[in-house]
Amino acid sequence: MAPSITLESVTYRYAPGTAPALSDLSISLPGGTCCAILGPTGSGKSTLVQLLAGILAKHHPESVGEGSLTIGDHRYTPLPNDILFPDVGLTLQDPYVQISGIRETTRKEIELTLETLGRDLVNEGGNIERLMHQLGITHLAARKPTTLSGGETQRVALATILIANPDVLLLDEPATALDYGAQANLKLILQSLRGAATVLFTDTHIDLPLEVADYFIVLKAGSLQFGGNRKQFLEHLPDFADLLPVEAWGKVLSALKGDPQSPFVRRIVQAAGLL
Amino acid sequence: MVPDLRPKLAFVLFLSVCAFAFDWQILLPLIALVLLFPFALPSYHPASDRARHLFFRFILFSIAISGAIIVLNGWILQTGERVEVLPGISLFSDGLLFGVRTAARLLLLSFSVLLFFSSTPIPTCINALQQSGLPRTVVLMLLLTLHFLDSLPERINRIFMAQEARGAPVRAGFISRTKAFFSILSPLLLSSIAESVDRGVALELRGFLLEMAPSAKPELPAQPFSPLTILLLAASFFILVISIARWLLP
Repeated sequence: MAPSITLESVTYRYAPGTAPALSDLSISLPGGTCCAILGPTGSGKSTLVQLLAGILAKHHPESVGEGSLTIGDHRYTPLPNDILFPDVGLTLQDPYVQISGIRETTRKEIELTLETLGRDLVNEGGNIERLMHQLGITHLAARKPTTLSGGETQRVALATILIANPDVLLLDEPATALDYGAQANLKLILQSLRGAATVLFTDTHIDLPLEVADYFIVLKAGSLQFGGNRKQFLEHLPDFADLLPVEAWGKVLSALKGDPQSPFVRRIVQAAGLL
Repeated sequence: MVPDLRPKLAFVLFLSVCAFAFDWQILLPLIALVLLFPFALPSYHPASDRARHLFFRFILFSIAISGAIIVLNGWILQTGERVEVLPGISLFSDGLLFGVRTAARLLLLSFSVLLFFSSTPIPTCINALQQSGLPRTVVLMLLLTLHFLDSLPERINRIFMAQEARGAPVRAGFISRTKAFFSILSPLLLSSIAESVDRGVALELRGFLLEMAPSAKPELPAQPFSPLTILLLAASFFILVISIARWLLP
């Protein structure tokens, strides 16, 4: 069962005495949620997902974290200082660095994750094929992973984490390198994970989150500006016009399919400065 | 099945020992031998077209640099017989000989290491290290270093292309190239190091440094050392001992 995630008064500084990268965050996510973490560059989105994956304290030993994190039944006080994989899986912004280069083919690259976990590759063969099919990378199985395009690499990077079947999946700007078709594919993948894993993904745009997320977190300079479900987010949408890119608001309007004359749509249009 | 890289490594060791122990008369035939290997022996064929291209490009550059070393030494070390190469320009035999000796050593060392890496894909190399039972942190460090070196030419090319797109004459000639290279050196190294750190983090995020489950522990290579490996290691050891003895004893 997908675990719930609770952050209580989490403040995180990369070094003592510096401005907090995350400031007094308190969030509670039900298990199985697909949550979008939104905000402009430098708002703390990547810091948050890296903290949830347990990578931050390990790679920034001088950092200072306060508060507590609870994932399912595990409560981390102080905050986790070691990688929580395979319970929690994270894909980084740059998909190319996710490829180890140790393996000759894409399939073997995916198998590497299972090998590091000590899983039996013979038993997992069916799972690998199913996952590759689901991600649309079956045809890349024999290709050298370092020769793939950005979108293909993004999907293989995702497969290297998904194959471990994490209960919590964290994706740092997963849509960045993807073309329109690959984004649609990602949308399907995220939808298929609904309920099976608690998914959190960061994005600087709001079109993909609006299509797949059922919970939204908006950050600004490390502080929580908003945390709520889809209905609440849509109600507050005009408040985020200064945080989310204006060019995306046209897509928002079309995604909402709202009546241009309705007060809500007029509020959005006005807030985004489109009038 | 991970290929046994020990004969190849033993050969690199043998050539490295020879480079320090012998004089240029022996080193030159050995260099010629190393240059024949990629054509003659399948296990030394370049691993890819890119590897082949870089291997032969490196050879051309190395030969050019060796020529410069020889001439420079012949010009600076003004002892021995004077040899007039051009009207008004003379070189000296002792300097030339020293240059040839130094260049031959450098060529054999660099060619032998290059022969190993151009014919061994990084995945094969890393797998062999992993299977040999080396700690995972060491394997990770080596992997990141190899990636760093592997991606360097491509990165330089990408930066040069970006500069060219802005109209900078970075490939106009040797001097332009050198000037451009020095100006991109620090950002290039910094970005490569940053990427290496990210790659390390990404591998950790896939559990690369986790304690392996007993079922996943690599089996140490069951096959014994091949006769060729033993011969090369023994020859290297013998040459090394004799060289040290000759150096220590009057």
